[in-house]
Amino acid sequence: MFFRCLARFRASRRLAALFVSVDFDLRESVDELILSCIPRRNNFTSYVFVGAALLCLGITNSARAEDTAFHEAESKYMFGFIDGADIGNEGEKAIEFETTGAFQKRGGSYSAVEQELEFEHVPTQYFAYELSAHATAHSISGVEGLDDINQTAFSGASAKLRYLIIGRGPGSPIGLTISAEPEWSRIDGTDGTQTQDYSTDFRIVADTELIPNRLYAAFNVSYVPETAKGAGDPNWQNSSGLGLSTALAYRITPTVAAGAALEYDRAYDGLAFQTFDGHALYLGPTLQINFSPKMLLAAAFMAQVAGHAADDPRALDLTNFSQYRANLKFEVEF
Amino acid sequence: MKQSSINKYSLAIAVLTLASFASMLPAGAEDSVTVNISLKDHRFQPAELHAPANKPIMIIVKNLDPAPAEFESNMLRVEKVVTGGGTITLRIRPLEPGRYRFFDDFHQETQGYLVVQ
Repeated sequence: MFFRCLARFRASRRLAALFVSVDFDLRESVDELILSCIPRRNNFTSYVFVGAALLCLGITNSARAEDTAFHEAESKYMFGFIDGADIGNEGEKAIEFETTGAFQKRGGSYSAVEQELEFEHVPTQYFAYELSAHATAHSISGVEGLDDINQTAFSGASAKLRYLIIGRGPGSPIGLTISAEPEWSRIDGTDGTQTQDYSTDFRIVADTELIPNRLYAAFNVSYVPETAKGAGDPNWQNSSGLGLSTALAYRITPTVAAGAALEYDRAYDGLAFQTFDGHALYLGPTLQINFSPKMLLAAAFMAQVAGHAADDPRALDLTNFSQYRANLKFEVEF
Repeated sequence: MKQSSINKYSLAIAVLTLASFASMLPAGAEDSVTVNISLKDHRFQPAELHAPANKPIMIIVKNLDPAPAEFESNMLRVEKVVTGGGTITLRIRPLEPGRYRFFDDFHQETQGYLVVQ
């Protein structure tokens, strides 16, 4: 027992030396040191230690590489459904194709896919806007509470205004942006029926770099008031949504970032959260690939992992939300 | 709900949207500092610029190459094409002390730094 503890202590000292030697940039000897640990401590614990050491070494070496390969990156689309605080560079103009899908509700089959064509412009170092035209395709069959429908139609238009309050960079580790996205819809996004719908997505967006130029984190708070009237319906219905979301993204290479996002949404009747309708928690992966300095693809998928609708004891809220969401953005600057 | 109600709610949403951006415009122009840089053989000359902190900065970029370039910086939050033999002027907001990287987006290995002190 004593000798086993002594051996473990020696292994720990080797690992401590390993980190010290990393600090003093003696990485060649570090590799030898790690390898020398393996045959002497032939058990699971040693492998865990060595694995952790290699991981730390990788991160450390990666961080050292930031001056050469990993330059500052724009965080706007890095987090999938969650916004990053960067708004782009003054003078930037881009065309974007954004596809957002909602899939699966209770019973039957459900898919609602929205395609947006967007023009983006950054006229100042503090302000950016997007103008979008929307089309939707609904395919609904046998879903509880919804009529069957199979249609594709022009569905509306929106504008997104983004104002950068704090730019991430020297003097500020945190970026902070507010945005408002007013939208007019002529097709109901959930059931595909004709409607008149006006809404605005107000959002507070914060992000930071946990490891400079490598590991990013974002946090969003959103409030979405909405008023809508179905075709032939004399009454307007008011509703509102509240969202809290966070995400992490890690740049695997200078042009590829992957991560995970967590989003919590609440749905209410009334513009000011008068009656609780339901809530849902989503979780899923994100990916961004920069094909060139002027062309990027961002993808995200989220699955509802918890939630329930008001007055419905069943797990998950598939009345106000879908079970799955997917988003794909393809942007070309010009 | 009556038509007047929807008008009221639509107006409220519109006012909220506009109010969010009431402070959109940055503070008025102050005395700015001018720095000059040129591009020759796909290199910035000088490769390091210096400017004082907390003052608006005007960067004048002269492209001495025949090929076009795009002066870009994610940290300075600007990008602008400069034609071969052309000159552009970029107005930068007051900056905190630090090193701000810029590059030619058409030739990404061409880079330099603005050092703000």
